[in-house]
Amino acid sequence: MLVTKFAIPEIIFGKGSTKHLAQCARRLGARRVLLVSDAGLERAGWVSMIKGLLEEDLLDCVYFNNVDSNPRDHQVHEGAALYRESRADVIVGLGGGSPIDAAKGIATIVGNGGQIRDYEGANKIMRPLPPMIFIPSTAGSGSDMSQYSIITDVDRQVKMSIISRSLVPNLSIIDPTMLTTKTPELIIASAADALAHAVESYVSKAASPFTEHQALLAIRLILDNITEAAETRSLHALEQLSIASTAAGMSFSNAGLGIVHSLAHSIGARYDVLHGLVHPILLPVVMRFNLPATEKKMACIGKEVLGPRICSEHCLGEKGIDALHELFVRLGVTTRLRDILPTDSDIEAICRMAERDTCTITNPRQASWKDLIRICEEAW
Amino acid sequence: MENTTIQDLIGIEHSKLNFFQELQQTIVELKASHEKSEAQRREFAAIFDGITDLMMVLSEDMRIISVNHVFMEIFPEGDPRGKYCYELFTGNNVPCPKCPAFQSLRYDKVSKETAIFRIGNRNMHFEMVSSPLKSPHLKEHQVVIFKRNVTMEKEYQAKFYQAEKMATMGVLAAGVAHEINNPLTAVSGFAEGIRRRIPKLEGHMDEKLIDDFKEYTDTILKECQRCQAIVQTLLTFSRPTKAAFQPVDINSVVEDTVRILQHHFKKRPGLTVVLQLQRGLPHIIGDEAQLKQVALNLLTNAVDAIEDNGTVTVTTDHAPETQGVRLMVQDTGCGIPEDKLNKLFEPFFTTKPVGKGIGIGLATCYSIVQEHEGDISITSALGEGTCFTVTLPQTQVGVHA
Repeated sequence: MLVTKFAIPEIIFGKGSTKHLAQCARRLGARRVLLVSDAGLERAGWVSMIKGLLEEDLLDCVYFNNVDSNPRDHQVHEGAALYRESRADVIVGLGGGSPIDAAKGIATIVGNGGQIRDYEGANKIMRPLPPMIFIPSTAGSGSDMSQYSIITDVDRQVKMSIISRSLVPNLSIIDPTMLTTKTPELIIASAADALAHAVESYVSKAASPFTEHQALLAIRLILDNITEAAETRSLHALEQLSIASTAAGMSFSNAGLGIVHSLAHSIGARYDVLHGLVHPILLPVVMRFNLPATEKKMACIGKEVLGPRICSEHCLGEKGIDALHELFVRLGVTTRLRDILPTDSDIEAICRMAERDTCTITNPRQASWKDLIRICEEAW
Repeated sequence: MENTTIQDLIGIEHSKLNFFQELQQTIVELKASHEKSEAQRREFAAIFDGITDLMMVLSEDMRIISVNHVFMEIFPEGDPRGKYCYELFTGNNVPCPKCPAFQSLRYDKVSKETAIFRIGNRNMHFEMVSSPLKSPHLKEHQVVIFKRNVTMEKEYQAKFYQAEKMATMGVLAAGVAHEINNPLTAVSGFAEGIRRRIPKLEGHMDEKLIDDFKEYTDTILKECQRCQAIVQTLLTFSRPTKAAFQPVDINSVVEDTVRILQHHFKKRPGLTVVLQLQRGLPHIIGDEAQLKQVALNLLTNAVDAIEDNGTVTVTTDHAPETQGVRLMVQDTGCGIPEDKLNKLFEPFFTTKPVGKGIGIGLATCYSIVQEHEGDISITSALGEGTCFTVTLPQTQVGVHA
């Protein structure tokens, strides 16, 4: 086993845990908070709730909401300028992956200057970032746990992965009640994202006992609760999905991901589709591609999906993948690439870009862009 | 990203960086202090730019650490830092023996020195002041050297010295001439009187005695004339004012000079002076008194170069390939080392021992010959002798003698 490392933020978990935000921010030296969020969270009322919490504690709050799904480089620069102008101190990120990744990008520029593209890749951040508190609202992205920030470089049409331990927030406040306002589609897409994190990081080349444990826990919790959460939005099921997403985040932040995410980044950079929609389509196909390289672990996943079976590891792995695919079909999500992409003419370019993505490094089976094209064709 | 590895993703040696606030604070403070030192630096730079002397800071082993803009004007090519001072100034690979920097470093005091360096194609005379830079936080001692280019001042100073010398000599010669001419006039007048009265003695005296008187009076008169000629020549050497250029016979210049130096030569029994003057040379247009100074300087140098026995040969002839004339003064003396050859004509440069000369003779020769649009060249072999050749053009159509 490689010498490994397991780093996670401080975590406050539980229903209503958001009420601790103001005092936590104060502890980190806050007097004027930069709150980063987006329009969806405003509509759901969460932004005003958080603002209220801060005001109640007599903390100033500067609000930045120019964040798209798949945040853009220029939005990050804009947010950093606002932080400087308003002389903010602590950054609070509220939302799904997009506002949180944007908040990380803003913090990077504030602490280190320059352009966000300067920090693409691993360990390019050399100076500390302002204190960060994240409040995830989707139970999917895991960005509130991870050392990754994914920002779209508009000029190059690339989703840049910025990887640094400094991107791990000081604190993540996970409040499952946040999920109660989500649509079933979003619940499923987020859970699929979390499931992809769990599966990919579980079979990753950099996986360690500490991450594997979290990944399996996440897989189990998602399988057990996704249907109930989508159908009834019971707080219990949502809470379980929160735990799953957090566990999956711990896992992939330390173990890395695989080619599902390479392709998802590449597709997202070109077509701006919702990240969570790509996973149910690609995950089973990629698992089949990876199966020969990691049969033992695939069998463990199969066991989580199907319960104990008496058959070979290979067979158990395959059956587990099939069952996953059926689960996605049952949930009524898109399972063909053709339904989310307008044309197949860009497949080669997408795959060539995905081959260079950081996530490809930790994929258990070596994948060239030609392999990726075959995967896309199979998923078409 | 092309070369990210799994190790990079695990990032064992990278942790979350903290102390954001403290760092921001430190950055603000550093910026302020940086601005302060930058302002100080600019102030110093302005001061240094105002210094018109060449300035260098040297390490203990004479490596250049920093220089000012005047240095860059004199040595425009390349970055001098790290090079040795002496390789730039003298082209040698050993330090100059009389370098004031060593004095400064050794005795920890300001030290002065003058030296001539050949830079590019011209000689430059520098007055150097070095002062030690000893500071507790410097690893090694440094020394700062100012070099003032005094080439022009030295030239004028030499001209002034020479002019003053000649003027003094002129006053002396005029005085001597005046004082000697009076008694000489009396002596020659009375001798003339005696010669006129000799015929009256005939028949009253012994023939032989009368012939003796004749011979004596003739000798007295001849010697008187010789004295008058010497005094006259002395006067021509030192015209206090600059005469207009006139036709000059180079041979008579040589002869007059030799006449003045005759006494000087006689004190040196081992010395032979040979004149090889070509007759019928064209006259050149020039200042006779000044040309005599040239001849005088070259001749005295030649004599000084010979220790006991030797020959000084003075030759005049047609200058090859031009209408002009040549004057060559050749000695069989000690010769001049090669490294000194290109500095010979610099004011105040001398190879003579202290008290024997101050180094303005050849500088004067050089400027006189330049005024005559001629040139001086030297060939020298150590231990064998030296030959100075002065070539003077015929600036206007001369008159054949």
